[in-house]
Amino acid sequence: MDNALYVGLSRQMTLQRSLQLAASNMANVDTVGFKVEQMMVRTESLAPENLNVAPINYVLDGGVARNFGQGPLEQTGATYDLAIDGDGFFSVQTAQGVRYTRDGRFTVNAENKLVTKNGDPVLSAGGGEIVFNPTQPIPAVALDGTVSQGNVSLGKVGVVRFENLSDLQKEGSNLYSVKGDLAPAAAPDAQVRQGMMERSNVQAVLEMTNLIEITRAYERVAQMMNQTQELASRAIERLGRSN
Amino acid sequence: MRALRIAATGMAAQQLNVEVISNNIANMNTIGFKRQRAEFQDLLYENVVRMGAQSSESGTVVPTGVQIGSGVKSGSVYRITEQGSPTRTENKYDIAISGRGFFNILLPSGETAYTRAGNFSPNQTGQLVTSDGYVVQPQITIPQNATDIAISKTGQVQVTIPGQTAPQVVGQIQLSSFYNEAGLEAIGDNLFRESGASGPSVLANPGSPGLGELMQGYTEAANVDAVSEITALIVAQRAYEMNSKVVNAADQMLSTTSQLKS
Repeated sequence: MDNALYVGLSRQMTLQRSLQLAASNMANVDTVGFKVEQMMVRTESLAPENLNVAPINYVLDGGVARNFGQGPLEQTGATYDLAIDGDGFFSVQTAQGVRYTRDGRFTVNAENKLVTKNGDPVLSAGGGEIVFNPTQPIPAVALDGTVSQGNVSLGKVGVVRFENLSDLQKEGSNLYSVKGDLAPAAAPDAQVRQGMMERSNVQAVLEMTNLIEITRAYERVAQMMNQTQELASRAIERLGRSN
Repeated sequence: MRALRIAATGMAAQQLNVEVISNNIANMNTIGFKRQRAEFQDLLYENVVRMGAQSSESGTVVPTGVQIGSGVKSGSVYRITEQGSPTRTENKYDIAISGRGFFNILLPSGETAYTRAGNFSPNQTGQLVTSDGYVVQPQITIPQNATDIAISKTGQVQVTIPGQTAPQVVGQIQLSSFYNEAGLEAIGDNLFRESGASGPSVLANPGSPGLGELMQGYTEAANVDAVSEITALIVAQRAYEMNSKVVNAADQMLSTTSQLKS
């Protein structure tokens, strides 16, 4: 009898985590380069030993699926806003090592380097930094990432891709780290668009329906647990009657 | 329940967004105003099941793991220094910059401030000053008997004096450029101050490499686009609402839990 409660509890715990993910998606509906996430649950089959009964299936959180689909591009008109159209990431040199991002709202620091809003240098295709010349006209970025001021080419903004996107781990601040020493490959198919930013690919309608589903499922499980409790108390009442 | 706190960060972020948008809209008619944009970043992630963790002794690993974010934070409020459209005013003392650069203004404190608002006028001693009366640097004094003033694209100020055939040069306007214009600190009254992020100012004549040219008789309108600001406002409002729905949902789940029979 208790098993029904434990199974219900396992589902409620995964539902709470799903709600957290939905909340995180919704909170980041306006975060540039954010990729929507969803909980994947799996059943954990536990057959009691020595008893010839059907196994009890618990629910466990199996993993977080991240949808790396393209977010809509929005024109901003800012010179240092870059967006990737296609599969790929910008490389950023942080104090902790190289990190990857789809957030291309860069700026220029006091040393005239192309940096992220956190001040970390953006890496070129060769792994170096991109340094502008303040006495030259406003820089232009070509579709393949080549940065130029006037007739002078300053290098190419590095866009890299990963064979297996589930190797990426979120770090916060719109950055991804990669586990181990996995080296990324160049992404020749990705296009860099200047003056654009990639909006979050969270779809508000889907998240809202998701939210309703989660709350309703939670209520149903709670109801099931209540009924189980009631069944137990009624059984005790009936069987405990003396005559 | 953490979903409550996550939704709260989302609501706080959208509130900031609306504040920035309303400031842009309020300054739609401010000369030389540059619109701003609130930028958001995702917060730290908690690893519930760490990806790449070993799931058995034989070396199999968890392929994706369970990473749950803790919401959103405001990364920065970025100033978009796109050129505003020049507006014809016919006023001889109005100067717009077409391209990069800032006018230098001497504050009463002795500090130098920078501005794109070129709606100047002469003061009681003939000095070219801003609408607040702060002196434009380098100082330009217009003689009292001057009948006309001409400012060239490269910043040379010439006046016509009765009885003289040739115009007389009375000064040269210079512009400051910065490595990172977006890093300047706004101090109100259309003025900016140099900061550690902007880098030092580089002084040069208008029209020299990398700098814009002057346009006499024009002012630079704010680069705020009403339509896109209103759209952004609607989006922000909806996003705020959606985050409040998450608060509702979390609250509902908590109340379901508390109503469980013991």
